[in-house]
Amino acid sequence: MSAPAILQVEHLSKSFRGLKAIADVSFAIAPGSITSIIGPNGAGKSTLFNLITGYLAPTAGTVRFNGRPITGMATNRIAELGIARAFQIARPFRDISVRENVRIGALFGKKGLRDVEATTERGMKLASLAHLADRRASALTVGQLRHLEVARAIATRADLLLADEPCAGLNPTETAAMIDVLRQIRSSGVTVLLVEHDMPSVMEVSDRLLVLDAGMLIADGSPHEVAKDAKVIAAYLGTPEAS
Amino acid sequence: MKRSPLSIALLAAICIAVLAAGPFLLPPFYVRVGQLMLYSAGLGLAWSILGGFAGYASFGHAAFIGVGAFTAGLVENSAAGLGPLWLLPLGLIAGGGACAVLSAVVAYPILRLRGTFFAIAMLGVSHVCAELTNNVDFFQGSLGLNFPPIAPASADPADFFYWLYLAAGLVVLFIAWWIRHSRFGAGLLSIREDEDTARMLGVPTERYKRLAFVTSAVLTGLLGVIYAHSLGYITTDSVYRDDTNLSLIVYSLLGGMGTLFGPVIGAFLLVFVTQVILARLLDFHLFATGLLLVLLVLAAPGGVVGVVRSLRRRRDKLAGAE
Repeated sequence: MSAPAILQVEHLSKSFRGLKAIADVSFAIAPGSITSIIGPNGAGKSTLFNLITGYLAPTAGTVRFNGRPITGMATNRIAELGIARAFQIARPFRDISVRENVRIGALFGKKGLRDVEATTERGMKLASLAHLADRRASALTVGQLRHLEVARAIATRADLLLADEPCAGLNPTETAAMIDVLRQIRSSGVTVLLVEHDMPSVMEVSDRLLVLDAGMLIADGSPHEVAKDAKVIAAYLGTPEAS
Repeated sequence: MKRSPLSIALLAAICIAVLAAGPFLLPPFYVRVGQLMLYSAGLGLAWSILGGFAGYASFGHAAFIGVGAFTAGLVENSAAGLGPLWLLPLGLIAGGGACAVLSAVVAYPILRLRGTFFAIAMLGVSHVCAELTNNVDFFQGSLGLNFPPIAPASADPADFFYWLYLAAGLVVLFIAWWIRHSRFGAGLLSIREDEDTARMLGVPTERYKRLAFVTSAVLTGLLGVIYAHSLGYITTDSVYRDDTNLSLIVYSLLGGMGTLFGPVIGAFLLVFVTQVILARLLDFHLFATGLLLVLLVLAAPGGVVGVVRSLRRRRDKLAGAE
């Protein structure tokens, strides 16, 4: 790998009462890429995100962000270093407007000098939400809420965005819009780690795929390579023409 | 709908002037009611910094009224040689300091609880403090504690305490206003809305909750010190009151939970109803408070501020449709 990795996961394991949700997973993410984690339900994708963001503590292994170990750090400290997460089930601050939601991301998040108002506007623009800035979050559609999740996460000025199924439950038009947003985020210099079920989107947007099955990393490569991998086809894709 | 800063400042100045003129215009009974309104509004605001802004509704803030009052009384009585001019500042520092220490220590375990559990644990804190004050001789809770008179000879004590409550209430209002518009306030709001998400966005939730708790406790304690002076003599029962514990929640519910002026409006309203309208009905006012609360939660869960806001929104919508 040419550039130093922004995120390094080393021999990460997590057990819940003996059940191995993540088993000895290692990988490194290059800056400026979109990497997707795929795998069947229960493969450990969300657990992996919870471990990286400090929401859960691993049973074994380390996570490094920009070379610095972040395992066991409090969630808000990890956010201060520059990792943001967009939840699968949108969790907006319902009683306040879109702008106020995004503004809270801009007020906190990564440490350092900030221009709160400019960052807020930029976050809304990147997630194409500027036209809804004054709408109450509770009045948004499911698709718009997903954009709000992404906008708020980006407003933290994070260097790494973990997006947990941003396209789940969206119609084809909304999915295309979300994919477009993720691409723009990458071109703005943010590294994206994506968990997604919608295979056409994943194939289209990802620079690299990681395949998890039963807590283990079973494949790692370009979308093209992974789609041809026999283990992956057996575990997950089912049919070879999925790509 | 935005008003210019100048017109807001002017409006605030007029409100303060009208309130300050109270003792010159009102008969003595209403000066007493005014005192109670201002005191309650101050308490409601102090409570709201934690309960309204951060969503941690305490059911035991009388603990800080009591701890503030008794600490101030004990310290002032042991420094009785000082002039009356120095006694109140000394009492405020001692009472506020004691509340800061108590709340900072209690914060660690108790702020791990959420919702109802936090509320009930605070009720426990209030009762434990009351029991200790009552049963440990040093605190003189059952015997009672006298406070030296601090009102200057030239002023009527009732008027003096009215103005003191007004000044204290304005200080608390200013602090609450400042918090609400600060980064700290935005962090508290995110904690109220969704604490886990707040943490994920980098909000130092534990530190902010503790800070809000200590701020709220200290301001409550300072008001308790003034209250004790206005009574002149306190026992455990006169400061650790469960109806205070209840009222502080009611002020915010009545006026509008989490809003700046909600607790002020709620306190004014509830004190007026219980002290003026229902004054002759004695204990009936507790029943009336309960009834009012039930009706309010059913009819207008957003309180007075919520009703005004929805009327304004409707009006703006009608104006936009034309």
